[in-house]
Amino acid sequence: MIDEALEHLVKGIVDNPEEVVITEKSSRGGTTLEVRVHPEDIGKVIGRNGRTAKALRTVVSAIAGRSVRVDLIEADEVR
Amino acid sequence: MSEAVDEKVKDKKSLISQLEEEGDVAADYLEGLLDIADLDGDIDIDVENDRAALAIAGGKLNHLVGGRGEVLDALQELTRLAVQTSLGERSRLMLDIDSFRSDKKAELAELAKETAKEVKKSGEAIKLRPMNAFERKVVHDTIQEIGLTSESEGEDPDRCVVVLPE
Repeated sequence: MIDEALEHLVKGIVDNPEEVVITEKSSRGGTTLEVRVHPEDIGKVIGRNGRTAKALRTVVSAIAGRSVRVDLIEADEVR
Repeated sequence: MSEAVDEKVKDKKSLISQLEEEGDVAADYLEGLLDIADLDGDIDIDVENDRAALAIAGGKLNHLVGGRGEVLDALQELTRLAVQTSLGERSRLMLDIDSFRSDKKAELAELAKETAKEVKKSGEAIKLRPMNAFERKVVHDTIQEIGLTSESEGEDPDRCVVVLPE
């Protein structure tokens, strides 16, 4: 559910919603959600001084009821 | 009607329809989130102080507000961006969830009660400080519960509640 929530939040604020891909990774440290967006959208999801990235983390963690790590990545970046 | 006034009326209308459109886009964004998160909430769309104003009422949405309203601020920020992405215009929309800052609400209710007491005693109307729509609503509701009447007067941002004697 939390990956879907993040996907919805991100898709609504980018110009290329069809290129948004969320990957959920769980480890001992907790849940990490990796968000891949079109290179043109990376600035939008990070925002000035990381403001948008922080807002995404805040809302997603609140919905999940625990701290969730959100990593924002350009889609063409090599894994 | 002169042309200048005509033009002004048109501007006002287009501003309101633009804000209503903002409200609709914002509501879709928020509704989508509530659906995914399986949260119950009714979204109310309004235009206040030349801004789109959205209010989610659900009763069990404290976690979407946060202790100091930080989650609400974050969600408001994202909703503004969603509107900007969709409509191409910067948005100044306001978001409220379950009439957050209940302490503020309690404080206003207390002010309303004190004022009602004074009005009953003196038999004269009392005008309160300018308040936003949310604040005025809290005061009106409290005054009504007490059994007095109140009305709003003036234009935003100077709109005030006046508590009337019996």
